[in-house]
Amino acid sequence: MDHTVERELTVPEEVDEVWRSLAQPEWLGDDAAIELCEAGEVRAGERDGFVEEADAPRRLVFWWSAPGEDATRVEIDLDETEDGTCVRVTESRPLAILDGRDLAVEFGRASGDGMGPVALAGGARAGALR
Amino acid sequence: MPAADPADAVFAALSDVTRRSLYSLLGEHGEATATDLARELPVTRQAVQKHLGTLAGAGLVATRRSGREVLYRPTPAPMSEALEWMAEVGARWDDRLAALERQLARGRSMSP
Repeated sequence: MDHTVERELTVPEEVDEVWRSLAQPEWLGDDAAIELCEAGEVRAGERDGFVEEADAPRRLVFWWSAPGEDATRVEIDLDETEDGTCVRVTESRPLAILDGRDLAVEFGRASGDGMGPVALAGGARAGALR
Repeated sequence: MPAADPADAVFAALSDVTRRSLYSLLGEHGEATATDLARELPVTRQAVQKHLGTLAGAGLVATRRSGREVLYRPTPAPMSEALEWMAEVGARWDDRLAALERQLARGRSMSP
């Protein structure tokens, strides 16, 4: 039910170095761009978007979409570990059904059955579109 | 038919507590008539039928006729869109993180 994908990678480099590497866009794919600052550009092929939050060197949040697709939110968190740095990626698709706040409230009330995060997703979407 | 974005109709249909109960009841029964379902819920048969209609509109429920009865059964089809999305997005991140790892490894071999 949850439209979220999570992936993790641990590399031996320190957090600062991994952050610098994120700025070299090749890893994102062909014809890619990434600016690690608020409102910066993010692009990979025909997929493009903007940075919502850049908290160097720990956290990057951006929104992007390919033509004809819903925008998705990507969170990248860098955490220091004993072995180096853990890169955690979460891409989520806010539920587009939240075209009315009433529904978000209804979902929120119906928490306890896995529906809770829906209201949060609605909030995140509203924030991004402001 | 589901709406343009199937997830819209699915989540809207499941936003109602009675419809969620109905859907999970159908899951337990496999197949049931509106009368069967109304017996297990504190709502009228007419209300059950209306809710089943909403679930059917979202593609969550399918029907077939058996003699003088209409049988409802749950269909997992609409959810597969979400699963497909997750598989696709996950595979892309596997690729990107592998590329990031290679990128870092190249930096490693170049540094003194």
